[in-house]
Amino acid sequence: MREVAVVGIGHTAFGNLSQYDLVDVMGYSAMDAVDDAGIGDHRRLIEQVFVANMGGGILNHQTAIASSLVSRLGIEPAMAETVENGPASGASAVKTAWMAIASGMVEVAMVTGGELMRSVTGWEATDFVATLLHPEVEYPYGLTLPGFGGMFTRMYMERYGLTERELAMVAVKDHQNGMKNPFAHVKVECSLDALSHDSESEAANPYMATPLRLYGMCPVSDGAASLILCATDSPAMKYFQKSEPVRISGIGSATDTHCVHNRKDPLHLKAVELSAQRAYAMADITAKDISFAELHDAFVILEIAISEEVGFFERGTARKAIAAGDTTISGKIPINSSGGLKSKGHPVGATGVSQIHELVKQIRGKAEKGRQVKNPKHGLAVNFGGFGNNVVSTVCSKM
Amino acid sequence: MVDFTQYVPKKKAIFAHICPNCGEKYYPAPMVCHTCGTRRDPTGSKFAEWPVEELKGPCTLLTWTRLTALPVGFNDRYLLFGIVEFPSGIRASGLLRVESPETGMKLFARADVVRTNRGTPEVGLVFEKSKSRVSGATGATGRNPEVAAQHS
Repeated sequence: MREVAVVGIGHTAFGNLSQYDLVDVMGYSAMDAVDDAGIGDHRRLIEQVFVANMGGGILNHQTAIASSLVSRLGIEPAMAETVENGPASGASAVKTAWMAIASGMVEVAMVTGGELMRSVTGWEATDFVATLLHPEVEYPYGLTLPGFGGMFTRMYMERYGLTERELAMVAVKDHQNGMKNPFAHVKVECSLDALSHDSESEAANPYMATPLRLYGMCPVSDGAASLILCATDSPAMKYFQKSEPVRISGIGSATDTHCVHNRKDPLHLKAVELSAQRAYAMADITAKDISFAELHDAFVILEIAISEEVGFFERGTARKAIAAGDTTISGKIPINSSGGLKSKGHPVGATGVSQIHELVKQIRGKAEKGRQVKNPKHGLAVNFGGFGNNVVSTVCSKM
Repeated sequence: MVDFTQYVPKKKAIFAHICPNCGEKYYPAPMVCHTCGTRRDPTGSKFAEWPVEELKGPCTLLTWTRLTALPVGFNDRYLLFGIVEFPSGIRASGLLRVESPETGMKLFARADVVRTNRGTPEVGLVFEKSKSRVSGATGATGRNPEVAAQHS
């Protein structure tokens, strides 16, 4: 298989962009990636476009979005497909583009992930995301992803002794990073005391899905991110001289049972573990070689649980590492230097692409002051679909 | 031609399916037994539909949450949800009608209307402390008369 590199990256701000058109938002990040790659006059080098989007049909009454984006960018007759894989759509689209290039089918491809979720009410957005649950035995009850986040958190706390204060530490750390990320949706600095246990916490940080509180969950966001990928042995690489290319050295995905209650141990996120192992094997590395990671913290408990499944910590011990500062920017294994979904935001189709955007930015050494990881060599992104029933892990490495 | 009206529920009941070959129990039902590969056909046209077992009665609460961020269509202040395990080992998610749940507590499961969707009542599993019904209750929502009495 051919080696594939990211040669251009683009990103919109995450937040409330509901006054804009979905494809315009995607187009903005796509042209940002074209500019970063330095191919403004050669954008027709892009032979194939993969669009990651989960809710265009439901939320925005728009379908066939990839075709629309190609036309908006004026790069017809490039091939175009939309990839829908729930909240893992972004990394799935990157994986599909990687396969198209690695197989030799195309030389250059673009991936754009985008979502406009704030064009509907919060209740409607919550219902939209819940459509990924089982349509007969989960969804009809009013169960939602935060509901499963709450039940998962309770199981974890009762088994391993995790405290609400330790959960809040993850949110505080993520917001510290997000404050320095120009793309972040919720740039609010949080204090540990305000988020945990004192008399004001009920007002400032109410329970949403016990024992998860408001600041234990990601916001509902709009936004887009784009990547341009090229085979490293392609003659087209001569056009990508402006920005440092970063290799996609490993990519793997895995699935688990649709219904959480059917898992022998619901705390064991098998698809996370397996997808990471597959990505490490392809990159010929182990968890110990990873310099930093973007983990899908739609709920803060997931940052903790995923960090254990991918091999950074033993099960039940991540909380100690967090309390010791090991996951901060200057720690042993910085996690969610972007602010994560928690602070940066979670436009579902964009998230997986945005995570890899962050890996590339960090490996290039171009992250903003105060959130640049020191000399990163390998970065891991985990894009978590469903409640862990479809997960994509990606390793990016310095060339 | 398949008569799909045969699937319209005739009574409030939720069923586990049992593989006729190896006896493995499933909720919800798969199309193929994960253990022995026996096929299941809900139309009965190519393969037999599997025998069923009603999910009801004693169960143990494995985990739960009180959810205030509800989706559109639910006009409650909150709802309680749980995952339970039946003595047979089958697990299920459902609506908790217990105001102060505790992990590990013994509950009773039965089928009841869990919401009305565009005028159509939808039946699901509810988990309660005792077998007795609470008339008019839709769940532990703050509207439950038993709960209201506790809070008054």
